[in-house]
Amino acid sequence: MTTQNQTILSGQITGFRVWWHRWRFHLSVLAILIPLCFVPRYIKDQALFSGDLGLGVHDLGVKKLGPWEVHMAEFNDLPPRRDGTAGFVKTFSVSLCESCRNEVRAVYLRIGKPRSLRTAGAIGFGSVYNMQIGVLIPRDTPPDAQLWLTAEGWDGSMHSTSFPLTEASAATMKWLGHR
Amino acid sequence: MAKKKSKAKVWFLIHSWLALPIWGFIFFVCLTGSIATVSQEIEWLASPMVRANPPAGNPRMLTYDEVLARVEEAHPGSVVNSIRRPVKSQFALTVNTTYTDGKSGRLYVNPYTGVIQGQISGFDFRQFVRALHGWLLVPFTNGFAWGWYAVSFLGIPMLISLITGLVVYKRFWRGYLKPRLRIGQGSRIFWGDFHRLAGIWSVPFIAIITVTATWFLIEAILFDNSISISTAPPPAMVKRQDVPTRVDGSTQALLLSPDQAVAKAKGRFPDMQAESIFLPANAYSHYTITGRSSYPLILERASVNPYTGNVDASRTVSDYSGLELVTESMRPLHTGDFAGLWLKLVYFFFGILLTMMVLSGMLIWTKRTAKETAGMIREHRQSRRTRDTRYSNGAAGTPSHAGAGHFLKTEKGNS
Repeated sequence: MTTQNQTILSGQITGFRVWWHRWRFHLSVLAILIPLCFVPRYIKDQALFSGDLGLGVHDLGVKKLGPWEVHMAEFNDLPPRRDGTAGFVKTFSVSLCESCRNEVRAVYLRIGKPRSLRTAGAIGFGSVYNMQIGVLIPRDTPPDAQLWLTAEGWDGSMHSTSFPLTEASAATMKWLGHR
Repeated sequence: MAKKKSKAKVWFLIHSWLALPIWGFIFFVCLTGSIATVSQEIEWLASPMVRANPPAGNPRMLTYDEVLARVEEAHPGSVVNSIRRPVKSQFALTVNTTYTDGKSGRLYVNPYTGVIQGQISGFDFRQFVRALHGWLLVPFTNGFAWGWYAVSFLGIPMLISLITGLVVYKRFWRGYLKPRLRIGQGSRIFWGDFHRLAGIWSVPFIAIITVTATWFLIEAILFDNSISISTAPPPAMVKRQDVPTRVDGSTQALLLSPDQAVAKAKGRFPDMQAESIFLPANAYSHYTITGRSSYPLILERASVNPYTGNVDASRTVSDYSGLELVTESMRPLHTGDFAGLWLKLVYFFFGILLTMMVLSGMLIWTKRTAKETAGMIREHRQSRRTRDTRYSNGAAGTPSHAGAGHFLKTEKGNS
């Protein structure tokens, strides 16, 4: 109050100053511009979450796993996100080929070659049409790391394939500090 | 006495200045929050598909298996992720489904006739209002969004406003006995009376909202720093040996049906309400059944093994630590969605009242300030015209001093 009075009384009364003193505290109304700016992003994200944009933002094509084919995509173009105490997780999406929907029991993804089914990595959650896998990305992942995709059949069989991480997610490579 | 008075002045200045620079932001958050409490009811009014009109007579509600069969009939091959029975019987069942093209959406199913009354995909009004209020639509890219921090931080100035408001409002309890709302004496008097009257009647509500909001801030800080106070065990997965192997190439389902899973959960917890059922999300995942218990602020859950029917994991009220009972109650206390329509309307009413208190606080301040500023400018111009230096020097201190005295008088109700 005092500074305001002093400013006004010090002989600098111009139209703008009066306006500023009266209206500066109403500038916080501009906060509604924040959600307004995020509306397009929000709508796009909702479309991504509901599958309207396909499996994800970055199509990785069809991966062959023995007799099965799995369509894969990088779900979003964000760097790996912190998942509680577990570490940093990057999400990929997969859908199963029509003929293998009844044959595949589970799909797994991890960085580095799994030694067995028990270490096949993160398991996919969701329907056979759009499944999500949050794979753990260790901070010290080397630039030539391979992502290993493993499918397990209801009959107990297991098939794997691998592809370079650099192909799968540019955002993750950037996050790791690899160009 | 003078010391006491100056202390009261400080409290009053804190109360006056705390919310003012951010009043527009707080107003927006309070308004969207009020709308969010009744967003489900707004949807009910606007959209016939979310209503559950029972047919005449004493109709029976469909079981989860029957609902599943209806969805399969309408969308062959689709995969149901969850079926929720809203707490209030006038709402349709919501069935979250993934279709064969990989898109997902929500079906509204009449719980009596099984008719699929409509479906949505992508945009959801209730979620939108919640996101608008809770985190200003700022995306959660890594941990909690900064919008969440910005909104939940407001709990602190609002809590201080509540406390300082009660401190400066001398003998505020008199307001309960002798409510005063002068309508015919100008807007400044009206908004002042309104601000005080609404304030004292909203004390419990404002306390609940600000304390829970502050908890949301703490919750985000804890999460983003990987600090957990949860005593919940890590999510259970079905053991590998429980999952059957299918060798003959048959496509026959190996799983229990949802109704069988609910029956198993109820066998273990007879009082369980089974309001929602989440179907297994992969071959190693459980049926999850949730429902309210005798303590309505906490959802109890049971994880039923879809092959063996065992309840492999559960979390009931008695499994929560004392601290968790408090922290887990924060969200329902903030949203008011645990006791039915009447409580939602109570929350909505006080929410709007709180929104109006932000507005009235700002109006009081600007009217008072505008008046004083105008007065000061007038005096100043006068002094310049008359070139009376003696008057001008004196005026530099006087008006603001008088203004502060005026504030205090106003709050005592003398104006």
